[in-house]
Amino acid sequence: MLKKDITQDKALNSKKAKGNAVTRFISRDLSAWILLIPMLICVFYFTLRPQILSVYWSFHKMVMYQPQEFVGFKNYITVLSRPDFLQTVKNTLTYVIYSMLIGFPLPFILALVMNELVHFRKLTRVLVYFPGIMPAMAVSLLWVFIYNPSAGGLMNMILGKFGIEPYQWLQDSRFTILWIIVSMTWNGCGGTALYYFAAMQGINRELYEAALIDGAGYWKRVKIVTLPYMYGMFILFGVKQIIGVFNVMEQVLQMTGGGPNNASVTLGLLNYRYAFENGGKNAQYALALGVMTFIFLSVFAILYFFLDKKIQENQL
Amino acid sequence: MKKRIGKFQNMDSGALCTSDMKQLKYKLFYAFLWAIMLFWFTIVILPCLWLAVSGFKTAAEINASQNVTFFPKKFDLKKLVHAWNTLHYQKFYVNTFFLAIGCVISDLFVSGLAGYVLSRLRPKGYKVILGMVFCLMILPTTGTTVPLYITFKNGIIPGVSMLNTYWPMWLMAGASMFNIILFKTNFDSVSNSLVEAAKLDGASNMQIFVKIMVPLSIPVIMTVSLFTFNGQFGNFFWPNLVITDPEKYTLGVQVYKIQNTVNANLTDDIKMMGIIFAVLPQLVIFALFQKHIIGGMNLGGVKG
Repeated sequence: MLKKDITQDKALNSKKAKGNAVTRFISRDLSAWILLIPMLICVFYFTLRPQILSVYWSFHKMVMYQPQEFVGFKNYITVLSRPDFLQTVKNTLTYVIYSMLIGFPLPFILALVMNELVHFRKLTRVLVYFPGIMPAMAVSLLWVFIYNPSAGGLMNMILGKFGIEPYQWLQDSRFTILWIIVSMTWNGCGGTALYYFAAMQGINRELYEAALIDGAGYWKRVKIVTLPYMYGMFILFGVKQIIGVFNVMEQVLQMTGGGPNNASVTLGLLNYRYAFENGGKNAQYALALGVMTFIFLSVFAILYFFLDKKIQENQL
Repeated sequence: MKKRIGKFQNMDSGALCTSDMKQLKYKLFYAFLWAIMLFWFTIVILPCLWLAVSGFKTAAEINASQNVTFFPKKFDLKKLVHAWNTLHYQKFYVNTFFLAIGCVISDLFVSGLAGYVLSRLRPKGYKVILGMVFCLMILPTTGTTVPLYITFKNGIIPGVSMLNTYWPMWLMAGASMFNIILFKTNFDSVSNSLVEAAKLDGASNMQIFVKIMVPLSIPVIMTVSLFTFNGQFGNFFWPNLVITDPEKYTLGVQVYKIQNTVNANLTDDIKMMGIIFAVLPQLVIFALFQKHIIGGMNLGGVKG
């Protein structure tokens, strides 16, 4: 009976509303838009406006964080022609490659294992997630000590157990990036693993049973049931990871400061240096570099949208 | 169908089924999976354990070139007091707490209201905003650093600089696209009849939000609060740029400063203690709300 009343009332309301569009706008839409104002202000000031200004100002000379005269593409040309640019791009790609090789498959393997274990499930989840509760800065400092080049560092202690001489770790410019990625993976992969795990738990069990009846072994079942279900998430997290690694800055700043000899400088750190070292003298280069990185990473974002849509169509 | 087979009576978790466990092959495989997991546990626990004990070593022990031991030569609990007095973390705890609480309030108020409007009120043109939120969530924010810094320097209200205050972080916490979507998805699932009934009683939009939506969404509010709160305890980038007054430093900034400022009192063992003190709040929060935090990750519902 109540439901009937409501529908009647709704019909009445909509009749009334049609009668007077202005009243309807004020009573319904305007009050709703007013509630949106805080969010619109935050988004405008902290996301949209800076994004637009960064493009606009990147064509200007900056002095003491004040935009001056229009200089065209001069900032862009300067950034591209500096010798550290090429080195930084190379470093950043190395970060991405290492992170894809180590940090991308590991959470999936962990989630796959967690998915099968039936004992101590709660404890497993807590322990896998555990490193993720610590903030990046603290974890990075911890790993600085773990990579301590003296024999007292944890890594060198382990090497010492096998009778190997202490190794330089972060000071070895050939592999600095690899060691930074290892510490970042230790910090971050538990969280991703739990996301994958939650998704895997949502797979309909009847699919596995059906595959079992068809005589599929474990790996076959994973291949035909689990993997197709997970592709979308892989792409989502893969793109997120690439974007994240491109901007990585805090861990590098804490662990090596970009050294040794700029061997571990990323685009994010270079941007930070341009923006805030020497009292912002090079802020215009930070703007130009930021815009270029933005365009490049947007390609990944669009790629994600496109692929995600395609996968959903195929699945349905 | 389900038969009790020893300890594998309920194998229905992943791709392995209960009936597989009759075969020796799969029993061995299960043991192999546990071996992988135990190996991973070691990798997780070893650095943490090492951190916990190394704070008690002397600086010379940490940087020794021979005769190194995993455990310190002697455990002296006075070391904790000494480290605490050297590091002066009291004020950083208070500052960070202040920062984090502000961010949680801003996040719940701004993102919560936005989620409510986009989910329930749907005024004309709300789809534009929804599309914008989705776009901004995936688009990278690289390049906004300098304009944002200038905004904070000059202030939104002209002449009132936001440097050396927590306002930049508080306001930025409100513009979290992910949380807006999270709230929207959650409010979508609130039963419509309750809302309609309240409307019949003449409740305003704000009243419906406070009296119906909020009480019915406690789990998601808990999760968002915990993640925002925890995140601010480790937040480094903006607090580091915005706050230059050492009295206002937060934990995230201080963990960087202890490594990167020259101070003879801060020997390596004290720095190790500094890490422990810096992660302590998060450990406590995790221990208390472990169910919410891990359960909350599923709430995120990032679907493929």
